[in-house]
Amino acid sequence: MGLIGDRRIRPKERETTTVFATEPPWLLQLQGFSGNYRGLSSSLKPFSILQEDEFHKLANVTMNHLLEKIEDYGDNVQIDGFDIDYGNEVLTLKLGSLGTYVLNKQTPNRQIWMSSPVSGPSRFDWDREANAWIYRRTEAKLHKLLEEELESLCGEPIQLS
Amino acid sequence: MMLRQAAKKALGLTSRQSTPCSVGISRSYHENVIDHYDNPRNVGSFDKNDPSIGTGLVGAPACGDVMKLQIKVDEKTGQIVDARFKTFGCGSAIASSSVATEWVKGKAMEEVLTIKNTEIAKHLSLPPVKLHCSMLAEDAIKAAVKDYKEKRLKTNGVGESSQA
Repeated sequence: MGLIGDRRIRPKERETTTVFATEPPWLLQLQGFSGNYRGLSSSLKPFSILQEDEFHKLANVTMNHLLEKIEDYGDNVQIDGFDIDYGNEVLTLKLGSLGTYVLNKQTPNRQIWMSSPVSGPSRFDWDREANAWIYRRTEAKLHKLLEEELESLCGEPIQLS
Repeated sequence: MMLRQAAKKALGLTSRQSTPCSVGISRSYHENVIDHYDNPRNVGSFDKNDPSIGTGLVGAPACGDVMKLQIKVDEKTGQIVDARFKTFGCGSAIASSSVATEWVKGKAMEEVLTIKNTEIAKHLSLPPVKLHCSMLAEDAIKAAVKDYKEKRLKTNGVGESSQA
């Protein structure tokens, strides 16, 4: 089936490497394509691979930051059934009848995945230039998207950036 | 057979995969998911070299989810007359791709591109953490259509090509 291609990328130690992604699937995943489109044309942009330890650092900071901010938020808004939990690197935010958010690190892809009761599933890649986690399909930034959604759901603004 | 073994294993190993499990909460699969798991529709493969077949391959084993969805298209009408899938992943992923093959049959290609992951998720009552499976199924449909179209372009571009 040719799930994984034969090409290997060998990034230099402690440096990022720019590669052109064609196949295999995991490379396209890294770019934020949630699918492997066979025969993809050369219109793909070059991207940098995040090293795993760098990814963990960035992602952990993000997850802990979100945990802290949303915990405080929960103390201020009156939401029945509000609960936030961070375990096994999965952040689960319950908003009672308004729905549940699940955020997790997807290490093989160097992504943060989010499941939202408002916008459904999305997958964020770290964008160095923007210094933000961005969902390539919609160009949405993780923090901004959460801010907008939480405010519209709970009625109170939240500052996450 | 092997796929089901792999799928059963995947189910059993869910908590150790990247796909997260909520800690401390027990939940069971919705009956629609179990139905698709026990009675999967349209499991199998077409010959991917057949010009009337479009193949969508999405996901990555490292993430715990790979779906292959194939469509058989009637050249004259552009309708999808048959579909097959093979999925490596959790019960929700299997069910999502199974549902996808059911929904694409008998539809025009342009129409199936409008199938949304939210519809699949709703039909299977997928919990939040499994919404990503339904998105993958949507991607698989799109990839299959894209593949078919590209194959057609290639064939037409060559003109009167001899049979391979």
